[in-house]
Amino acid sequence: MTEAATAYLASVGTALPGDPVDNAVLGKLLGVSEEWIDIFVGTRSRYFGRDLGTGEVRWSLADLCAQAAAEALESAALEAPDIEFLILSTTTPDTLLPTTASQVADRLGLDYLPVYQLQAGCSGAVQALDLGRTLIASGRRAGLVVGGDVTHRHLDFNRDLARIPTDELVNYLLFGDGAGAAVLTAEPLGEQVAVRGVLNSLTGLGRPAGQTVDWYGLTDRDQDRPLLREDYKAIEEQVPVMAVEIFWELLEQVGWQVEDLDHLLPPQLSERMTTRIVERLAVPGVHEVSCVGETGNTGNALPFLQLARLLPDLRSGQRALAVTVESSKWIKAGFALEKV
Amino acid sequence: MGGIAIVGLDCAFPGAPDAEAYWDLLMRGGESVGEVPPQRWEADELPDTVPESARAGINRGGFVAGADGFDNDFFALSPREAAAMDPQQRLLLQCAWRALEDSGQAPGALAGTDTGVFVGVMGGEWGRLRMGDPSRVTPQLGAGSAAGMTANRISYHLNLTGPSLAVDTACSSSLVAVHLAANALLAGECDTALAGGVNLVLTPALGLMYSQLGLGSPDGRCKPFSADADGIGRSDGLGLVVLRRLEDAVADGQRIYAVIRGSAVNQDGRSNGVTAPNRWSQQKVLEAAYRRAGVTADKITFVEAHGTGTALGDAIECAALGGVHAVPRKKTCAVGSVKGNIGHTEGAAGIAGLIKVALALHHRIVPASRHADRENAQLRLAERGLRLLKSPMRLPAGEILAGVSSIGMGGTNAHMVLAGPPRTPRRAARPAGETEPVGVFTVTGDTPDALRRNLADQAEAFARRPRGGAASLGFSSNRVKTGLPYRFAVAARDTTELAERLRQAAAHGIDAGTPAHRSWTRPVVAFVYTGQGSQYPAMTAGLYRDSAAYRHFLGEADAALTRHTGRSTRELILRGDEAGYDTGDAQTALFAVGYALTRTLGELGIQPAAVLGHSLGEYAAAVAAGALDLDQAAELVAARAELMRNLPAGGGMLAVGAGPEALAELLAAEPTLALAAVNSPADSVLSGPLDALDRAALRLAGRGLRTRRLDVTRAFHSPRMAPVATGLRELADGLRPATPRLPMASSRYGRLLHDEPLDAAYWAGQATDPVLFGAALTALATEVAPTHLVEIGPRPTLLPLARRAGLAPGTEHLHPVPGPEADGRQLAELVATLYRAGLDPEWAALYPAEYRTVERLRPYVFSAENRYWSRRADRATTPAPVERPVTPVSTPVAAPVEQTEDPVLAAVIDAVVTVGQYRPDRVLASTRFYEDLGFDSVMIMQLKDVVQDALPHLGEVSIRQLLPALRSVGTLADFLRELALARVS
Repeated sequence: MTEAATAYLASVGTALPGDPVDNAVLGKLLGVSEEWIDIFVGTRSRYFGRDLGTGEVRWSLADLCAQAAAEALESAALEAPDIEFLILSTTTPDTLLPTTASQVADRLGLDYLPVYQLQAGCSGAVQALDLGRTLIASGRRAGLVVGGDVTHRHLDFNRDLARIPTDELVNYLLFGDGAGAAVLTAEPLGEQVAVRGVLNSLTGLGRPAGQTVDWYGLTDRDQDRPLLREDYKAIEEQVPVMAVEIFWELLEQVGWQVEDLDHLLPPQLSERMTTRIVERLAVPGVHEVSCVGETGNTGNALPFLQLARLLPDLRSGQRALAVTVESSKWIKAGFALEKV
Repeated sequence: MGGIAIVGLDCAFPGAPDAEAYWDLLMRGGESVGEVPPQRWEADELPDTVPESARAGINRGGFVAGADGFDNDFFALSPREAAAMDPQQRLLLQCAWRALEDSGQAPGALAGTDTGVFVGVMGGEWGRLRMGDPSRVTPQLGAGSAAGMTANRISYHLNLTGPSLAVDTACSSSLVAVHLAANALLAGECDTALAGGVNLVLTPALGLMYSQLGLGSPDGRCKPFSADADGIGRSDGLGLVVLRRLEDAVADGQRIYAVIRGSAVNQDGRSNGVTAPNRWSQQKVLEAAYRRAGVTADKITFVEAHGTGTALGDAIECAALGGVHAVPRKKTCAVGSVKGNIGHTEGAAGIAGLIKVALALHHRIVPASRHADRENAQLRLAERGLRLLKSPMRLPAGEILAGVSSIGMGGTNAHMVLAGPPRTPRRAARPAGETEPVGVFTVTGDTPDALRRNLADQAEAFARRPRGGAASLGFSSNRVKTGLPYRFAVAARDTTELAERLRQAAAHGIDAGTPAHRSWTRPVVAFVYTGQGSQYPAMTAGLYRDSAAYRHFLGEADAALTRHTGRSTRELILRGDEAGYDTGDAQTALFAVGYALTRTLGELGIQPAAVLGHSLGEYAAAVAAGALDLDQAAELVAARAELMRNLPAGGGMLAVGAGPEALAELLAAEPTLALAAVNSPADSVLSGPLDALDRAALRLAGRGLRTRRLDVTRAFHSPRMAPVATGLRELADGLRPATPRLPMASSRYGRLLHDEPLDAAYWAGQATDPVLFGAALTALATEVAPTHLVEIGPRPTLLPLARRAGLAPGTEHLHPVPGPEADGRQLAELVATLYRAGLDPEWAALYPAEYRTVERLRPYVFSAENRYWSRRADRATTPAPVERPVTPVSTPVAAPVEQTEDPVLAAVIDAVVTVGQYRPDRVLASTRFYEDLGFDSVMIMQLKDVVQDALPHLGEVSIRQLLPALRSVGTLADFLRELALARVS
């Protein structure tokens, strides 16, 4: 890769709606003990864009993504006319059309530029980064990559929660709402973090989905098939293995040694899973940057939330590696950063 | 490279009441041509000689909505004068205010500067309509009809003393005006210039002329460079840009839309006819402009052409452009003309093009040229290095150069070269993870209604934005949106909160039932310093985190104290040790907090008019009053702290809900007890040994009196403090305190200090004597009459006490740190409160440097309630009555008019109403001639005549006699009444 093709992270912005919902509040709503959440999931708090009492949606995905993106623009000291593309990844768009990506562009005052929306899960932010890096390499000067998810269509706190089977109940404990964004630039600006490598690879040929996020339409809205399905057994088995592979593959791609690494951004499925994966990776002396314990699994927002925590600690010359696994159709993803 | 920066702009064009709407219209490729409104002329008014084929075109055009509305009260202009003013003057005056706001400053801040005003204007239609009949001429109408007054009014009302002139070069007037303004800036004639133009189509006359010349479009629409181009459609328009020399704009952190790199103006000279365009002169003006800008034609990305859409005009302009642009180049030069959207705005045509180009460079996208899809092949654009912009063009990164052309019917051509704004960011990127500071957002208006209107407008603008920080917006509003009489201010951390609070204020009153704040005076603020007992772990930590000023001054106090204590008081405070402070640490810590708060408020422009300290609080108060410097006070406090720490523990204090009289008997029976403080007539504190205090508590409880043991381990302010007094007297022996610069109420004496020095003896006695807080505060309130009391300390203790006891009645109580949760927000709210009350803070001190950037805010929204345009009066063939404002239908008629039994006052009110055509309810005895009614010398002359007619028994009154009485309507009536009496006797 030539120097001209390097994309830089100039800034990151994040948006988490309202006040955190802790396990005491959530446990009460779901009729499970706080301790049970703590033992099985480990997540301590999360945020929801809806009012849990009334069900009113107070933050749409576009609200959160626009807030995060505006913060990223502001931090980078760039303005709307400087932005030459926008890529948004999500599992849960507000509407199918217009895309949430184009709604966010509108909120930001962006016009006459390519806008992409990627339908993706936990690997979405990396897919967006990958595409953004390609656009920078093709001559664009600056663009926004955005990721976010909201749960209000897929988690119903107003139903009779006492009667949900445990494997479905887990979804209520795992997920949260949020968004993140980063400004990518062709020249080192703002935080001046070079994107040294990106891994984005579908590896699920012939394998059943580990996670399904479904939706209903006019013809099937009366069915009661669950909208969220997870094969937790497969996830627990596969994700740590894939994470280790991603880690080494990325290191090899950028030609770094393990000792070169200062920070690690591990997969954020849940606090428990993350701990297990980090233990398994066993990289000595590396600083772990995680957020899932405080934010829950926010899907497409996660890598941005991790980046927001990383940046204040990332010093010039330091290197960071992010690993993420999308267990839907088994996508390996990750990226390698170096602050110049 | 130098240049002239466009730092602000405002405009109104048909279908686009402001710059935002103008851009939207252009990007949509919209068109805003329609039928002439009947207010201008009736479609059937055209002479019978006009051929049927031309009638529709003459009766169509682009017309700005609400051209009759004018907020004359805002500019203190009488209705009579407003009604006599050419609406071009009226609208441009409002436009000037908004454009200056857009440039990131309060227009009032430019008063008295050499700011220049350059206005292109070619229409004298108002004057022809109004002055045609000599019997109707008035002084107001004379000034109201003069073209030069379009510029001079702006200079007058905003008090701008630089060059002020109107330019008429027909349709190139406004671009020539901008050219002259840029030259004036470069020549150092002025440091800021307003430049632009105005055009309102009031009569069909010019349309008839175009038609007769074969230049009028049959459908009233300009179709520039189109195969369908068939002539001109006339339009309204007005626009102004605010110009600065580029280096000044950059140095002042102003936002820049675009930079004028060079411009040129020339003349056709003796061409084919006085109104015929000349290809060679047009080419020369392009060449001259590029030469001055130091650029070559191949570097020009796009040109906003004059492009009137007449077959000949388009052909000649393209030939001239081609003569310059048909050079080897990477890409052809894009060409377009805004006239396809809004029509030909004549005197304002150049500014319409210039603002379009400035916005295009700002947004980095050039709107398409309407009607370009039917390109006129005869123009041979491609071989001339040109292409017509058929769709919007996103501009690539890097420097972009663009041109604007404007051509006058009489042969005066102008061309201007612009570049995009400088690429260097106006501020540094902000580090990740930083919390956004709290800002104070300010809005002002000339009336409560105006304030509400503008609050609602700002709220709506912020509600549309993604949630984000509000600090820079606050800073910008402090710069731009201050200066009008009715004030609003609110603290907010993000735009969502800000939008909500503005909306609430607009909808429900500024705060709890107060419609709006108008302060005639500045607030008088007294600082009241707390003493021991108010401390708690990590006090003021939130403020320390949020306020750079507080961090700095706590550091100063810490350094001064550390020299004497040997350890950091700041760390002692901030580490938040739950065990709290011993008596020594509590004193140094409270002194440090008191000092740092005082200085922080001082940085914000909040200076006390008087100070008062309670016990230990007197030290920080003495520093604030200038009696002690920081080092003197720090040494004394450190010594006092050490001496008290070294006293054997034992003894305590008991607060009693009673005054000293009720305690006299008890004190006589318990000689070891001392009266330590009289905080109010019903709040005292006893000091002494614990067993005696216990007995006292029992006895007082028996009398039904409330008591409370204070959390102290010594019997302060009692004879047991004698060793401290001795120690202080010895230490401070050489102390030479200064005379306080401010009134200081002494809680030792219970009154204001007179000539007593705050020397060793004072501080020694202060440790043993009772604290006479209640008496001191009462004395301060009586003699200084503060409007606001600000408690200086880590939480409110004295102010609640004062409120309970009814001390200093009528004062508003404020606290910068109302408790352990306090952070920068409460300080910001205190500043907001005092601003509403009339204080003008040093706003910059509220914001960290990286947030002191000027963001564009929506400009002021003027009232459109008053409308001044009556056609019947315009065209009346019989001698018309005096020019009258048109009362809006929606205005409730006859609001309560001041009823008066006094015939002289009634006559004066009648005369004033007649002279200015005011609504009668606006003229009261208290109404001021100059400030409220905008009286000038012409009106005074007229007033004299009307008054003499109304009160014939007065006889002749000279202007000289009248002038001193012209303060308010009431003072004039008083004067006339006395004059009448004198003449009768």
